[in-house]
Amino acid sequence: MPDEPAERVTKMIDDPATPLWRGAIALRIVTFLFAAANVIANQSGQPGYERPWLAWTTLGVMALWSVFTSRAYSTTWGRRWPVVLADLALTCGLMSLSPLIMSDHQLLTLNVPLITTIWASVPAVALGALGGAAAGFVGGLTVGLFTYLSKGVPSLDLLRDVVLLAGAGMIVGMASATARRSAVRLAQALRAEAATAERERLARSIHDSVLQVLARVRKRGLEVGGEAAELAQLAGEQEVALRNLVAAAPADSTVDGEVDLRPGLQLLATPRVQVSTPATQVMLAAATAGELTSLVREALSNVDKHAGPGARAWVLLEDLGDEVVLSVRDDGPGIPDGRIASAAAEGRMGIEKSIKGRVEALGGALELQTGPGEGTEWEVRVFREGAAR
Amino acid sequence: MTVSVMVVDDHPMWREGVARDLAERGFEVVATAGDAASAVRIAKAVRPDVVLMDLNLGELSGVDATLLITGELPGTRVLVLSASGEHDDVLQAVKAGASGYLVKSASAEELVDAVSRTAAGDAVFTAGLAGLVLGEYRRMAAAPGDSAEEKPQLTERETEVLRLVAKGLTARQIANRLVISHRTVENHVQSTLRKLQLHNRVELARYAIEHGLDSEPEAQR
Repeated sequence: MPDEPAERVTKMIDDPATPLWRGAIALRIVTFLFAAANVIANQSGQPGYERPWLAWTTLGVMALWSVFTSRAYSTTWGRRWPVVLADLALTCGLMSLSPLIMSDHQLLTLNVPLITTIWASVPAVALGALGGAAAGFVGGLTVGLFTYLSKGVPSLDLLRDVVLLAGAGMIVGMASATARRSAVRLAQALRAEAATAERERLARSIHDSVLQVLARVRKRGLEVGGEAAELAQLAGEQEVALRNLVAAAPADSTVDGEVDLRPGLQLLATPRVQVSTPATQVMLAAATAGELTSLVREALSNVDKHAGPGARAWVLLEDLGDEVVLSVRDDGPGIPDGRIASAAAEGRMGIEKSIKGRVEALGGALELQTGPGEGTEWEVRVFREGAAR
Repeated sequence: MTVSVMVVDDHPMWREGVARDLAERGFEVVATAGDAASAVRIAKAVRPDVVLMDLNLGELSGVDATLLITGELPGTRVLVLSASGEHDDVLQAVKAGASGYLVKSASAEELVDAVSRTAAGDAVFTAGLAGLVLGEYRRMAAAPGDSAEEKPQLTERETEVLRLVAKGLTARQIANRLVISHRTVENHVQSTLRKLQLHNRVELARYAIEHGLDSEPEAQR
């Protein structure tokens, strides 16, 4: 129990649409005062209300309901569909009493406002704040429909009110949807930042212990030779794997579905494969990034197969703004002329299909430089959609 | 003349191991230090030719120590020897004035070669560092703010050379491919670093002046 108020407070802060709800409450209070003034002005006078007692009763109910909704909309408890829909129903119901309260003369000739006046606009705003643009629009239309039913005859004034109500509901709905979206983005950014900080802390402590020892074992082992050299090689492999695991940031995608291409590539590094990237993020659509990563993996396994066990490879990632360039180079013997074409002809579609086809599917460009004794170099260029960033 | 070296690393086992490796191969290890503050103090006293600098040193980092040492001792070069991935901290160290970078998993021969080259005034580039430097120039070019003249830029040739370094070609292979001399390749690589470091110093000085930090730092020492 003692935790509940605190929890409610945090939830209140968390709700990005809170300012809109506060606006709805303010609107409710101001419009109630307007409705009260309207009743006072029209109850007596020459063409008075047909049933003044009903007018006062309705105004009393409106007062109670204003207090209730003001309190309800200040809490997360009240910002729910049942409450908001009840608000809409009660408001339309009270409005429908207008023909009983007012004389036909007042209603049709003098164009005196309905008993609820602009107080009736609040449910449209509340629906927008809760459910977005569509809900706000429908809420406005509903209130408009009941206004027409209460008046009984269509008019230009009526049409104007309907447009205003539906429009107001829709705009508030758009605002609340935008507020929610940016809150989600913010939360995501904060989460990514926290994850990065934690990763850095972890990286530091691993660096201070495990990596140092592994590097030392590898070094001394190679110097001692023999069986120790074998152990040294194992330690070296683990050192690289661990370093890359620590360095690779979590692949947390943004709201736009973009991910950093670097972590996926960095995990491909081994003692024989060097991966070089910029220090800053290289954001690409998640599907494109995944495709490029598996493409590089394919090229690297090709190096293993054809360039010999001693060959080394280098992966370079460059971000040129409107395009991203990925190069994979090895220092193996290179692909003899015509090997790629003959492999395709034999139905072993390895390189031809995997790399070329994939690059084409991404709308990118592929360049292959090779020759006997020169190693092999793939260069893939992928253009950014819209090239806005 | 033997090259004098100072080894800075917070890990005693590593520090002593590297010092022994270097001493066995004819270098004079004049000092060691376990944290950045004492590294700066000792370096000022012994003025070594080369400082082998680890980056993860605790409170004051190897990047700060690099900035202070290269700023005050023009005859001393800093070679970063780090186990951390080739990332932002390495780039920051290079911008702070380090003339090269080597991973700790490098062999003893690679280390000896890198220290000799650093002492001779060359830049020691790994493919990973070249990728970071390329990325940094492009980031600065794309960043809003400063007018284009104030930003350091790579010439076409420098970009070409850096890309080949990042793709793992040796200086000799690059010289062959571009039909230029080995020395010219080294000069291009060095120039990319120098421009980055100069820009960094200008930025730091401007920041210090804007924030009133430029008054008499000597008086406190």
